[in-house]
Amino acid sequence: MKPAPFRLHRPDRVAEAIELLSVYGDEAKVLAGGQSLMPLLALRLARFEELVDLNRIGELSGISFDGEELVIGAMTRQADVEVAPEVRKSAPLLARALRYVGHFQIRNRGTVGGSLAHADPAAELPAVAMVLGAVVDVVGPRGARQVPAEELFAERWTTVLDVDELLVSVRIPVMPAEAGFAVEEVARRHGDFAMAGVACALSSGHGRVDRARIALFGVGRTPLLCPLVAKEMEGSLLDELHPAALDELAALATADLDPPDDVHATGSYRRAVAAHLVGRALINSLEELRRA
Amino acid sequence: MVAGRFVGQSVLRREDPRLVSGHGRYVDDVRVPGMVHAAFVRSHVARARIAALDVAAAERLPGVRAVYTARDLEPLIVGPLGATMYLSAPIPSPVALASGDVRYPGQPVALVLADSRYLAEDACELVRLDYDVATPVMDMETAAESEILVHPERGSNVVSQSRRWDDDLELAIRGAPYVVTRTFRQPRQSHTPMEPHGVVASWDRFDGELRIWCTSQRVHEVRATMGRVTGIPEQRIHVVQRDVGGAFGQKGAMRPEEIAVVLAACKAGVAVKWVEDRHENLVAGGHARSDRIAVTMGLDHEGGIIGAELDHLEDAGAYPSLGSVGGLVAMMFPGAYRMGGVNWSTRAVFTNSCGRAPYRGPWNIESLAREQIMDAAAREMGLDPVELRRRNVIARTDMPFTNASGMTYADIDPAAVLAETLRRFDYPEFLEEQSEQRGGGRRIGVGVSLFVEPTALGTGTMLGTEAAHVKVSLAGKVTVALGTSSHGQSIATTMAQIAADELGVDIEDVSVVDGETDITPIGGGTGGSRSGVIGGGATHRAAGHVRDKVLRVAAELMEAAPEDLETDRGRIQVRGTPTRSVSLAQVAHAAYVDTKLLPAGVEPGLEALVRYSTPAITFANACHICVVEILPSGQVEILRYVVVEDCGAMINPMVVHGQISGGVVQGIGGALYERFCYDEDGNPLTTTFMDYLIPTSTEVPFIEISHLNSPARGPGGYKGVGEGGAIGAVPAVRNAISDALGADVTDGVRPCDLFESTPLAGGSSR
Repeated sequence: MKPAPFRLHRPDRVAEAIELLSVYGDEAKVLAGGQSLMPLLALRLARFEELVDLNRIGELSGISFDGEELVIGAMTRQADVEVAPEVRKSAPLLARALRYVGHFQIRNRGTVGGSLAHADPAAELPAVAMVLGAVVDVVGPRGARQVPAEELFAERWTTVLDVDELLVSVRIPVMPAEAGFAVEEVARRHGDFAMAGVACALSSGHGRVDRARIALFGVGRTPLLCPLVAKEMEGSLLDELHPAALDELAALATADLDPPDDVHATGSYRRAVAAHLVGRALINSLEELRRA
Repeated sequence: MVAGRFVGQSVLRREDPRLVSGHGRYVDDVRVPGMVHAAFVRSHVARARIAALDVAAAERLPGVRAVYTARDLEPLIVGPLGATMYLSAPIPSPVALASGDVRYPGQPVALVLADSRYLAEDACELVRLDYDVATPVMDMETAAESEILVHPERGSNVVSQSRRWDDDLELAIRGAPYVVTRTFRQPRQSHTPMEPHGVVASWDRFDGELRIWCTSQRVHEVRATMGRVTGIPEQRIHVVQRDVGGAFGQKGAMRPEEIAVVLAACKAGVAVKWVEDRHENLVAGGHARSDRIAVTMGLDHEGGIIGAELDHLEDAGAYPSLGSVGGLVAMMFPGAYRMGGVNWSTRAVFTNSCGRAPYRGPWNIESLAREQIMDAAAREMGLDPVELRRRNVIARTDMPFTNASGMTYADIDPAAVLAETLRRFDYPEFLEEQSEQRGGGRRIGVGVSLFVEPTALGTGTMLGTEAAHVKVSLAGKVTVALGTSSHGQSIATTMAQIAADELGVDIEDVSVVDGETDITPIGGGTGGSRSGVIGGGATHRAAGHVRDKVLRVAAELMEAAPEDLETDRGRIQVRGTPTRSVSLAQVAHAAYVDTKLLPAGVEPGLEALVRYSTPAITFANACHICVVEILPSGQVEILRYVVVEDCGAMINPMVVHGQISGGVVQGIGGALYERFCYDEDGNPLTTTFMDYLIPTSTEVPFIEISHLNSPARGPGGYKGVGEGGAIGAVPAVRNAISDALGADVTDGVRPCDLFESTPLAGGSSR
């Protein structure tokens, strides 16, 4: 369990990191918190000649809020995000979801950007970013661009970023006052990757749902937004969303899922539990929304 | 039993300051000048002929010292590699490195020595290993009949089998008013000690001395094994271990890897370190459980047990490190109940999987089967499972009691333990609560498990005796050197408690030495819940011998009679007249220096080495009650866990609690989380802690533990307590789940097995 040889580059600035990525292309891998990459390297399931370590780049860490948008630097530790007052206030779903990410020791090292870029389909943060309408800032040799979270995840452990691009921050728009959130998951043990999970963000105005975002994780090759459920819900009167209606929405959200079997669960269980969790997430987020 | 000043008290563990502050000293902490590092090339398949093995490229990598295959090490081997106590068992001797073929995934094939572990692993990747892959035997159910043989030279996949069958009993069981039949399985488990296997070995060819630093349950066995394997005279082999990060049975015998490393050190003439990594430990470090038992029980109208039939099948893997546990399964099956008789057949089979190693109560499936079928029978009869137990349980008044399989118990009171557990738990109140909550739609269940635990097993083997060497220094300080050694049992604390009380000194004045072959008496080490009973007995007796001598010498010094003296805090005084006293140091001075002061006939010196042997198995007994809720997701939450244990006199209640708690956690793991899996082709699927799940602090409930005390007959009245927690927990948890479901859980369960809509959870699996 020792990694194959690699060269460790420790740039101090984003520009230097980009340059390294441009030079080495797919021989290089970005090292953020290391909570997924290091075990893969140690088991020699992944190998890279060059590691570009972002841990010395101060400009990649930090949380700022300008009244409209929460901006979290890619290297901000998950543990810091979890307790940051501005996160709890303007993106409470993120703080809640982080409690499910591994254990606190893992969150002390793990970063927000690392989790998004790693794109594990069973991870919480990608799904949360999708339902919150987050956008990631990406910098590369051809300049900067922004990618909405819902377009970020291409495949299992793969984003749409080019090999020489770096995810530098994530922007989370502030949600309207009338909003409700939920994150629900079932894992074998607390802190394990979810066998099935759901993140949900709802907002309303004048007694109607005006925006509904539901994303499933752990049941597909990427986190999965449920546009059909959003379409059904948006415009609905809150009063119409009674338990039977929510059950139908849960069924709709999970109708096309076909997750595989593995040692932890059967595919059919994952699908059934996902439906159960969508139902619970909708109930809980509606309740919060009604209180708001 | 009179509680002593230290014995019976929760004396803080003297091991803890270094262990909890990260200053334990494990094998990986050993550094020897010039030491190189080993890594293994392992088989990636379960069964294959080795078509080609080419190490040339690996040898050329800079920093690589040597690459060895079976051909290099075999000439050094002059004796069998198996553990001493199993040399006559019907199991194949392990091989250090595979030769010609591989028989389980992860089997070591070649060994690289390099300047660092990193380089060694790099070199492993350069070894060319080609196989002719063959179909493996992976299914224990069909292994005995399979034409594919795990060990072709043995002619059969059957390790051993036993049978005792009485046809009249069979008729009586089959004709009973209630006949209940079930088949229970338990998943394959790994022991997962925090510290995996490992060894550092150094061969000094000039003085002919072999030094070994290890992590084991028995250092003297390491010396015996390596003496036998290498032919190096045993007295020239020096084995040392410091802290051991758990073993649970996995470190009872040397692993083939460890033996290969020692051989490599001898061949290369340099010190070599190898520490198994977690992946290696999970795949090839020794497995356990993985057995199946079919039980038929016949009961009369009142619930009396007419008899039972067992058919036990055990997966031994390719190279088990112990013989079959089938005999003990059969002997212990009656547990704490009266039964008319037991018919049994047991069989252990080889498969192309990691070999079975003993694991905390290796025979535990007897308790699982008995306690689960008691619940199944009670449900079938419409009787409360506790009531069925009450009607059959044995009590102190039945002692000595020979159970239906022929095992004779002494000094236990299971009826009292059951009653005390129910009282602490408040069973009637729980039943009321349960029916209320069930009305509210919650799936809540309770499970009881009652069992008798054979401890300090091993009469007639290396495990039958243990010795302690108690020495008083010139300054009156005490050293206890033990043949047994600790892999987490707090022996340095508990044995000091015993010696301090016997000698009447402060516990700070007693040091315990273990884990070094040169300075400790020959001993069997820790395993089979024996160190408290046999090691404690030896310490008791050896300290008692020294005490007798101390009193005789002190009496002479004070011109008093020995029987008028007492010892307290390092002084020996005339009872009732504390002003007339001498210190232990003064006695030691007379014993070692001023020997003319010794009474006539008393030899100089103040030390004793006493070997103690238990006459028979020491029986302990416990009852567990578990309450679970099955959540709608199928996840199981343990709401309450109660244990009442009768392990006789306790040396240190806190240590006893630790032993029980650790065992219960491992049992919970076996019931709900742990399952080592292979696919059909023999590929291991659960090779990291992401997939092989052990319970963590978030899954473990508070465990309420209390005690009864039926002392054993040996010195101090101690009984073993190391394994019971793991034995009792699996049936308690499974019975609770079965109660919540109203259907039998007959294997380890995952949430997907208990989800509302799955067939098992929805109705009866019968």
